Amino acid sequence: MQSDVKKKILLVDDDVDLLEQNKVLLESRGYQVITAENSQQGWELFESGKPDAAIIDLIMEEHDSGFVLSYKIKKDNYGKTIPVIVLTSAAYFTGFKFSASTGEEKEWIKCDEIINKPVVADELVKKLESYFASKES
Amino acid sequence: MENSHSPKILIIDDEKGLRIGTKRLLEGEGYYVETAENGYDGISLGTKTEFDLAIIDLKMPDIDGLQVMKEILKAFPDTVCLIATGYASYETAVEAIKFGAFSYIPKPFTPEELFQKLSQGYSRRELIIEKRKWKEEREERLLEVAFEKSRLNTIINSISDGLLVVNKNGEAVLFNPSALKYLGFEQIKIEEYVIDKLPPQIAGLINKFLPLEKCEQKSFSSQVELKPNRELFVEATSSPVANPDGTLAGVVVVIKDITELKKIEFLKSQFVSMVSHELKAPVAAVYGYLKLFSDSSIHLSEEQKLNYLNRSQIRLDGLLKMVNDLLDISRMELKTVSREISEQDLTVIIKPIIELFQMEISKKNLIVNVTVSEKLPHLHVDQDEISRLFTNLISNAIKYNKTGGSININITQSGNYIVTEIKDTGIGLKPAEKNKLFQEFFRAKNEKTKDISGTGLGLSIVKRIIDSYSGKVEVESEFNTGTSFKVFLPFRNGNNNTEQKADKLT
Repeated sequence: MQSDVKKKILLVDDDVDLLEQNKVLLESRGYQVITAENSQQGWELFESGKPDAAIIDLIMEEHDSGFVLSYKIKKDNYGKTIPVIVLTSAAYFTGFKFSASTGEEKEWIKCDEIINKPVVADELVKKLESYFASKES
Repeated sequence: MENSHSPKILIIDDEKGLRIGTKRLLEGEGYYVETAENGYDGISLGTKTEFDLAIIDLKMPDIDGLQVMKEILKAFPDTVCLIATGYASYETAVEAIKFGAFSYIPKPFTPEELFQKLSQGYSRRELIIEKRKWKEEREERLLEVAFEKSRLNTIINSISDGLLVVNKNGEAVLFNPSALKYLGFEQIKIEEYVIDKLPPQIAGLINKFLPLEKCEQKSFSSQVELKPNRELFVEATSSPVANPDGTLAGVVVVIKDITELKKIEFLKSQFVSMVSHELKAPVAAVYGYLKLFSDSSIHLSEEQKLNYLNRSQIRLDGLLKMVNDLLDISRMELKTVSREISEQDLTVIIKPIIELFQMEISKKNLIVNVTVSEKLPHLHVDQDEISRLFTNLISNAIKYNKTGGSININITQSGNYIVTEIKDTGIGLKPAEKNKLFQEFFRAKNEKTKDISGTGLGLSIVKRIIDSYSGKVEVESEFNTGTSFKVFLPFRNGNNNTEQKADKLT
């Protein structure tokens, strides 16, 4: 971390254990983490907390809650400026693979990245750092 | 005569001597003979029963012999008639033949002449009879074929599978209403070219055979979605139809409706993917904690470590329960065929369940009240299933209750139902949660439920059991105040139902 101020990450996941684990992981890498257990809480915390990045689980109350929340954040004036990453294990159990890599996918999936679960800490951190770096340069 | 039955012969002559003489002569030869002394008697005899042969005198006082012959032939065209005449001339002979006589005998005749003529006549008669038999047989067979064909059509038209036969040119030659229905045709004509009208996959199945000269004994099938979104799914099978010489005559396509099967398959795969997701979640949670433990770059406090071990245990417990619930569900689906239905008193089932949960009840300081109306009818149910139903509901009433709260169980009768109400003073449900309550794996997720373990299958099992008894369940709930489940189980069944109908009729 180059700056002295810790980057603030918003974590949204309805599984309290995964939430706790990812929080510990990210904190160990020097981030400040705020957590929410559902979309509604996640949105409120986004508005009040002004995080530097958001990491959202795809399947919560609904099968696409993560996309809905990330879409909402990306439409927000402040939200536009931060990276939003959606976590999913959907590709694993439906055999239906998708990502946010092509232009067409980015057109309807309003998030910067889709990362498959289980989360590999180093991969996640690398992604976050590259977003922060490109923003500062 | 060699014939088994004696030839029947009618002699019509006004000359008494000739009649009697000829009769005696012929009877001696084995003929059966009847005689008539005038034309009218001859007509009445000859038209009443069929004779093999008739000898008719041409000139009689009352009526002309040719007229008599005409009348007889009108009734029995196969009777062989001989005209006997004393005025034998070329003209009379021709005239007699013209009117349908087989031959004529000039009078007077010798016995030899008579026998010769009669034996010729009788050969003719035998031929006629033979011909008649063949004709009758042929007609009978034609009738049979027609009947067979219409029976076959009736059968083909009544089967629910679609059937379409096309000839080598791709023209329809046979089809039933089901085929029209599945293929979405209003009507097609026999010998209408249909290949280009068929769904491409089905046309493809037919086209695999049409170019072939020889008929190969194999068939092709393909599952075709005729209407999207699993509205109409069919399995089409094409097989060749052979000519007697082994060349290809055409192709028969059988179309079977497999929509229901596809729907079930879809539901099953949905359920399987849901189950695997639900099974994966606790495994991922425990796996995540283990990874934190083994990550040397992360420092965990003693308190964190204890907490994570505890959480891992809770998640694994939940996983085990879920596997058990899933086994129950699958067992229940199989059990529909081997249920043990017996008369059961609901209070006898519910009391032991409350005793079973005594520890949890006193831990939370709950008060449990059970009130039962008097003289409740018994239920005809499987004891294990009903016990399972109320175990799940009472377990929920305890789990989601407040410390120091209460559970009120009230059993009453309402119409044909025994109604069991289980009312708790727990955390209640939000309106949106109420609708999803009985879905598999649904769990109300909020700040109040996060520490309560559950599989999300308990109420789904409850619903399955209630549905299987044609019962119903009602839920009333207020968030933060409590929830009430009302279970309606019908107590009249089988014989009682028919009695009830009888009551209505009288």
